[in-house]
Amino acid sequence: MKKKILALVLAALMLMSVLAACNNGDGGGSGSGATTVSNEYEEVEINGWKYKKATDMTTENITLSVHSFDQQQVDELLAKRFMEIYPNIKVTVSYAAVGDDYTNALAAMVQNKTTPDVIMYSDADYALSNGLLLDISSFYNSDNETKNLADTVNSAGLGTFNLDGGQRYGVPFKFFPGIVFIDRNVLKTLNISIPNQQWSWSDMIDIIKQATGHTDIDGMKYYGLGWYNRLDSYYGVATGQDVIGEFGFNGKTFDVTKWAVGKQEFADLLVGDYAAPQRETDANEAWTGDWELWFGQTGHVAVFSEAFWTFQSSWNAPAFLEANPGLDIVPYVIPAVSEADAGAAHHSIATIDYGGVSSGTKYPREAYELLKFMSFGIDGWHTRNEIFADPNNVNASGVPLKNDVMPVPITKDQTIWDEYIKLYCEGMDEEHTQLWRDYFASCMQPISYGWTNIAGYWNFCDEYFNKVDIHTQTETGAAKAADFIDEINRQANYYHAKAMIDYFGPNSIYKVLTEDETKFYQDIVTAFES
Amino acid sequence: MEETKKMTRADKKALKEKMKHLKSGKLEKRDGRMGYFFMIPWFIGVAVFLAYPLGTSIWYSVNNIRSTPQGLLTTFVGTGNFSNILLQDPDFLVELVDYVTSTILSVPIIVVFALIIAMMLNMKIKAKGFFRLIFFLPVIIVSGPILGMLTEEGAGSISAIDMNALTTAISGVLPKMLADPISDLFNNMITTLWYSGVQILIFLSGLQKIDKSMYEAAKIDGGSGWECFWKITLPNIKPLILLNVVYTVIFISSNSQNPIIGLIQSSMLSGTKERGYGYAAAMAWLYTVVVLLIVGLFALLLMTRKGAYEKQVKKAKKAKKQEARNRKKIERRNARNAKRIERQRAKGKITSRTTSREDY
Repeated sequence: MKKKILALVLAALMLMSVLAACNNGDGGGSGSGATTVSNEYEEVEINGWKYKKATDMTTENITLSVHSFDQQQVDELLAKRFMEIYPNIKVTVSYAAVGDDYTNALAAMVQNKTTPDVIMYSDADYALSNGLLLDISSFYNSDNETKNLADTVNSAGLGTFNLDGGQRYGVPFKFFPGIVFIDRNVLKTLNISIPNQQWSWSDMIDIIKQATGHTDIDGMKYYGLGWYNRLDSYYGVATGQDVIGEFGFNGKTFDVTKWAVGKQEFADLLVGDYAAPQRETDANEAWTGDWELWFGQTGHVAVFSEAFWTFQSSWNAPAFLEANPGLDIVPYVIPAVSEADAGAAHHSIATIDYGGVSSGTKYPREAYELLKFMSFGIDGWHTRNEIFADPNNVNASGVPLKNDVMPVPITKDQTIWDEYIKLYCEGMDEEHTQLWRDYFASCMQPISYGWTNIAGYWNFCDEYFNKVDIHTQTETGAAKAADFIDEINRQANYYHAKAMIDYFGPNSIYKVLTEDETKFYQDIVTAFES
Repeated sequence: MEETKKMTRADKKALKEKMKHLKSGKLEKRDGRMGYFFMIPWFIGVAVFLAYPLGTSIWYSVNNIRSTPQGLLTTFVGTGNFSNILLQDPDFLVELVDYVTSTILSVPIIVVFALIIAMMLNMKIKAKGFFRLIFFLPVIIVSGPILGMLTEEGAGSISAIDMNALTTAISGVLPKMLADPISDLFNNMITTLWYSGVQILIFLSGLQKIDKSMYEAAKIDGGSGWECFWKITLPNIKPLILLNVVYTVIFISSNSQNPIIGLIQSSMLSGTKERGYGYAAAMAWLYTVVVLLIVGLFALLLMTRKGAYEKQVKKAKKAKKQEARNRKKIERRNARNAKRIERQRAKGKITSRTTSREDY
């Protein structure tokens, strides 16, 4: 009898769990219904900082959800602070590592009709083709804080997809500026003059060439360049202020003519043996005696095209500094190609991941405020600085969050920047702090990588560019970059035009293209297909 | 004492009719209800997790699907997804050919390796349980992401083999279509052999069921170990070979390391208008058909043919049945004859003599 009862209970539990899984957990409510930001706030003081609590938000008890691939612990702490400011709003955070895991999780939530209110995205094509993003232009344009963001967010329309109607579907969520590192000790050893922040592209190439070919007393070779990011990605944006995307994108079309010059230059550097071997290669083992040693640690490489985050997460860590006392790695803005641009703040490619409000949210105003708090908002950034300043805030591996992932503020608010630089340069001498200050002042004209910000770009890379493997062909000397110009332009413009029609055209989910835009893009598609 | 009465055909029919209208008892009814109740989770499971997704994926495969926060947007495209995959998607067919070749090559290797290890584990060795655990461990540990990480670190290949030399040698002898999968097979030899944990267990259970007296008898007759393997072991575990082959094909086909699975997944999440869930579903169905064809091919090759002994048994059973039928026939004829004699005696045609077989 006992067995029967146990079996009955188990069967009933299983049935209930199946039925419970089918519940989509609708919370009800409708939010404030505001369609703009009133810019009216009341102050809420937490830990000595006066937070601006928006008065045009709902007073109902609601739940907002965020799906992110930002740093998990930071997101959770940000959500916690947001809930302190708005006690009536409960924020749930779901996290997945960027890539297929993230998109799979998002796809599952969308299909289960539990789309999060705030979404991060790196693959714009997936988000747009499924109509995941809400047009937040009315909130963004009426919000005073958006006037003081990094220049290109507004001038190059980052997150807007450059529609004539002025719609905006995303805002920069996580910003890592482009950067070039120089090991000053290498330049000093080789008696090469150290550049300033106004250096030009040709200055950089000269340094790379001058530094290559020397050997030290033990016969170990010096290299001018150590690369992680390809220089052609940098070059394509550094060619001029009219370029607002990869491959010479001007907002409507691509022209890779100038990019191809940079591609060929980079390929020539590789073929000409100006670049240090990559890790885990036979060449690296032959050069350093260590299969895994990173080139920068040798003290024999002058210029690194490494990612911004590597400095704080690796090279600025006490253990690394102690183990590598012979290095003096300092930051430089990616140089502009023309001397005129190089002398002033100029566009440079940057890693920017975007966030948007879900088109399925019931609380657009509240979701926008949460998005702003977690991405570019001043209050959110003060909270981030507070989180990074506390060494007790650690990731799952016990690493302080400051040394895990520490993005850069997208706001230009001076208070936030003073806090940030103080925190970032903690432990540095005045000279290095000033170098970082100069760098940060020069990197605030970021241009995104294409897949996050240009419709059709991901599909173009996936279905054409990477398949043809233009990088390998040029970098092995098998072909010249100039050979591909016409076909890349044709393909890139087609994919972009087709995506614009598919995502925003008359038969799309959004239906926001003007007649002129539709005709413009349709002509490109027709020309390609004929 | 009541005399036992043999039931006539009419009685049996009447009883059957009566049983039809007979109501079940309370206990029987309760047992019936409980049976259905305990089957409910299974029915729900099949309906929700098998029948519904299966039906949905068929529907998806003939539609273009966009999954928006407001719900699914479907546009009927008929066979459009299938024709796009077969005629315009170069990746799918290339990956499919690679998959078919590598599966046909690696399945026999995995199964033979599993059989050899199972036979070794079935021997009288010390710490048998430990070794069984060692060979089964990859099944538990080597799940998708871990396997991916190990493969990236080069743990999937035998480091002692010079892969470059081997690949060059293979490419020199075989056409590219065959050389590539064979090179890949050698390159991922460790991974391939890790896939054999479950198959080893299945073979082991089969080997343990073989009657030891058969080996003893064979040895008395002078049979060697080699002969015992071919004449006793292999015929006895033959059905398990097919089972293991089917299992291996399905395992390889649904493994997350399989590039086609990756291709289906990336199509599902693609932003291209023609792709998405519908395209991925069509791709998955085409892939399923190919997987079934491979399973069918192996089944045709390995389907157990009836052995000589089984044939003899069947023949003997048939003969026995025939004999029983003949006996009944004779009994019926005797009974008919007896009745006829009775009738003739009653009419006075047969008088004094006792009837005997000679009268007929």
